[in-house]
Amino acid sequence: MIPTSACLLLSAMLFCLGMLGVLLRKNALVIFMSVELMLNAANLAFIGFARQHGNTIGTSGHVSAFFVIAVAAAEAAVGLAIIIALFRTRKTLDVDEVRVMKH
Amino acid sequence: MEKLFPEYPFSIQNIENGLWLIIALPLLGALINGVFGKALGRKNVHWVACASVGGSFLLSLLVMWALGNVNTSVFNPFSPDISRYALSADYGTWFSAGSFKVSFGLWADRLSATMLLVITGVGFLIHLYSTSYMEHDKGYAKYFCFLNLFVAMMLTLVLADSLVLLFVGWEGVGLCSYLLIGFWYDDNAKAWAGRKAFITNRIGDFGFLVASFLLVLLVTAAVREAPQGTPVSSYRFSTGLSEKGPLAFQSLSALATTLAATDTTAKPNQETPALVMNRDIETGPLKGYSYAGVLTAVLLFFLLGAAGKSAQLPLYVWLPDAMAGPTPVSALIHAATMVTAGVYLFCRISYLVVLSPFAMATIAVVGCLTALIAALIAFAQDDIKKILAYSTVSQLGFMFMGIGCGLFWAAFLHVVTHAFFKACMFLGAGSVMHGNGDETNIKRLGGLRREMPWTSWTFLIGTLAITGIVPLSGFFSKDAILFGLETQQLTGYVPVLHTLYWLGLIAAACTAFYMVRLYVLTFEGKRSPLAKLPHAHESAWPMTLPLVVLAALSVLAIAHGLPLLSLPHSPHHSQTLMEAYLFPVFNVANQLGADTQKLLKTGLDKTEWTSLLWTGWFKAWLIALVSGGISALLYFKLWRGGRKFPAILEPLRRFAQNKFFVDELYELLFIERAKGLAKGLYRYVDAFFVDRVAVHGTAQTVGFLGRVLCWFQNGNVQAYASAIALALAVGLTYALLQVLS
Amino acid sequence: MNVEIILFFVFSVCTLVGASLVVFANNPLTSAMSLVATFFFLAAIYVLLYAHAIAALQVMVYAGAVMVLFLLVIMLLPLQNTPLPLRPSPARWVGALSTASVLGALIYASLQWQKSLETLTPTTQTTTMSQETLMRFGNLEEIGLSIYTKWLFPFEALSLLLLAAILGAVVIAKARI
Repeated sequence: MIPTSACLLLSAMLFCLGMLGVLLRKNALVIFMSVELMLNAANLAFIGFARQHGNTIGTSGHVSAFFVIAVAAAEAAVGLAIIIALFRTRKTLDVDEVRVMKH
Repeated sequence: MEKLFPEYPFSIQNIENGLWLIIALPLLGALINGVFGKALGRKNVHWVACASVGGSFLLSLLVMWALGNVNTSVFNPFSPDISRYALSADYGTWFSAGSFKVSFGLWADRLSATMLLVITGVGFLIHLYSTSYMEHDKGYAKYFCFLNLFVAMMLTLVLADSLVLLFVGWEGVGLCSYLLIGFWYDDNAKAWAGRKAFITNRIGDFGFLVASFLLVLLVTAAVREAPQGTPVSSYRFSTGLSEKGPLAFQSLSALATTLAATDTTAKPNQETPALVMNRDIETGPLKGYSYAGVLTAVLLFFLLGAAGKSAQLPLYVWLPDAMAGPTPVSALIHAATMVTAGVYLFCRISYLVVLSPFAMATIAVVGCLTALIAALIAFAQDDIKKILAYSTVSQLGFMFMGIGCGLFWAAFLHVVTHAFFKACMFLGAGSVMHGNGDETNIKRLGGLRREMPWTSWTFLIGTLAITGIVPLSGFFSKDAILFGLETQQLTGYVPVLHTLYWLGLIAAACTAFYMVRLYVLTFEGKRSPLAKLPHAHESAWPMTLPLVVLAALSVLAIAHGLPLLSLPHSPHHSQTLMEAYLFPVFNVANQLGADTQKLLKTGLDKTEWTSLLWTGWFKAWLIALVSGGISALLYFKLWRGGRKFPAILEPLRRFAQNKFFVDELYELLFIERAKGLAKGLYRYVDAFFVDRVAVHGTAQTVGFLGRVLCWFQNGNVQAYASAIALALAVGLTYALLQVLS
Repeated sequence: MNVEIILFFVFSVCTLVGASLVVFANNPLTSAMSLVATFFFLAAIYVLLYAHAIAALQVMVYAGAVMVLFLLVIMLLPLQNTPLPLRPSPARWVGALSTASVLGALIYASLQWQKSLETLTPTTQTTTMSQETLMRFGNLEEIGLSIYTKWLFPFEALSLLLLAAILGAVVIAKARI
């Protein structure tokens, strides 16, 4: 079988790539996609552990991943709505230009 | 009576259950007048006020009636025997801390009942009087609210079954006194007088509290160490302790009995008698002190407390200034009731008082010096209320002498008679002021006898009573105290008491002199040309009626003071009605006193005793008569004709008129020091430390931090995310290190 | 070296390449398409891990619904004209360094964990699931059963969350309500 640590390593790399995207990119849309990457990294870790401990904890890991996917879908809907609203008012997606989180 | 009431109208049980109503009624009155006073209007305000106090008076009569019944007795939680002639009501635990517990309970025995009658009876009359005296005042409802609150607090003080509840009343009356002295607070001097009274009382209250704390320690030490067979070491006492706490009066009574018990474990050949109280405390915070020593300290601290409340040396200075309040207030609070709280306190714990001859002698000396000094100051005062105030201080000194020589009933009899005649005179003074445009200087009055007949006659009766003219009550109560000073054998202090006897006679002579002076200058002779109004007018019936009642009571109260009863339990002398009536209250104290301090002169047989009494009476009567006569002669004949005060005595008069400069001395010794301390505290602690360092410093530090943090909060979301990432990195590394190590 | 591991390795590399493209591509459209690819490769890895149901969901929800939404937004907004190149700033340096250290810490932790599994409890390193349970493990039946019994309450709460998200998206995105 696939060693769990391999899953974890992949998950860690994916997570950090997503994090890099969130922290470095200026485009709000790309930042958002990077967030999706990070969520997927978490899912991968869940499923890796579920595979390893399947005989004791059953499919709980899968259920967690399922919930994460659902939450991600909700988040995508709201987040993209925010991006549209943002673009409508600011005419840009550059987060450097949007300094509203001050108060 | 039993024929008239074959069945009792109320069962004793009902009266016991309703004890709280006596306090609750005036409290309710205060609440109604305080909250709805403006809306009620003047008519209804005084109805509420008078009715609530009158209701309490009726209930107090019921209590008095129940206490006359031989079957009235209460269960004593601290010892197997029952307390006769007492009512009690326990309303459960008030508060507890660890094993220390205080229950909220009321207790009425004959001592409290007499006080109840005095407070509510005189209180009712003064409420009635106030309806006329204060009728034009704009703070009418407020006044009656305070007055009702005062009555409620005084009743709490009297009905308390433990020192803690008594202290509630003690503080409550102090508060009301402050409120009423400063009733006309827009006059600066009157507001200051209120503050002076309050602060002086605070000093006394400090003594009270320290004494109470010491008593708690004393009780716990006695419970730990008292030898087997004493009341305190019994199982019953420990259950009582867990139920009502160590400061209940029944507990203190058991403590007193224990301390006076013979110490079975003491080593022989000791110099001191083998009593429990001469042992040393072995454990606890009082380790190394003897019980008797601690008890003396307790009583001295109580003396400080009582000196504050009852205006004794060195804390009497507030009482003359307290005359700034409305005159009925002076009559009720500063003559009849509140100022006697100290005497009441010592009567309440009489069984502890008799165990410490040193404390008793101190009490007597303090009382005597106060009586003398106040009487001397009163000589040169011209303000009618100030004279009465100093005379009150002086009479309170007599009461303390009575306590000090162990004749509690005599002191208490003097409390009662003094309440009658002094209230009568204060109200008379109020009536004089009312009829003369608020003139208080007796040199500008005079000749009022014809214009104010009721006031003048009742005032005369009051004057004669306080002077000690025979058929009036003051003579017997005062002479009972003086007789006690002469005959009581206080262990180790017999010469002291004898000296005090003579000093007391001098004080009595002074009393006669200045009271007659007051009466003559105010009511006799011709009207002074300096008077504010050309003609005085007699006051309305709500003011004169209380005067008449109180004057009648001052006469009738002699019934309590005549030694007529020959009772089996006192073969050596006949008892007065008051002594016999209060016998159940002071029984423990009398027994302990007779056993340990040899307070009663047992060597006297009845004939010797009677002859001593008669000579004592004659001496006192003669002195009062001579002194009063001289005074009357002087002020009637000589100075009405325009004679000046002898020049030689002028500095002396000045000295007395300025109250011996005691206020100035206190100012110099204490108040200036306190002001200096306060100024220092203000400058260094408040202005520098609190304001600059603590308040401004905090503000500036926070402001600086805010400006620094402002740089981080730049509105860039990614910067915030970076902060989160940094925290994650650090946290993760830290967690990793923790797991690995 | 069996097929499973080889496939896993291949898919992993593909996933990482896709993810890198997502993060570092200049054109958002490229990013989006790479994201689709990444999701597909991840789904393949899920299959390798016997998580069939989740793999299906991944394809349907992520690669289907969510990505369509992303593409829709990209098409809706005139973005091609505004390339947003990287621009260094102190916050970004801090972020990059933090990410690097997080990565290091995570990799180190994974390796340590693997090592400790091998040394401390040699029996738990391999799963003891039988072939039969392995076949049933992670299919829709198993997960459905679990969701509708043990996880019913969170599941219902999730439906509320989705409802709220729908309403929120409408309210936020609409110019005038």
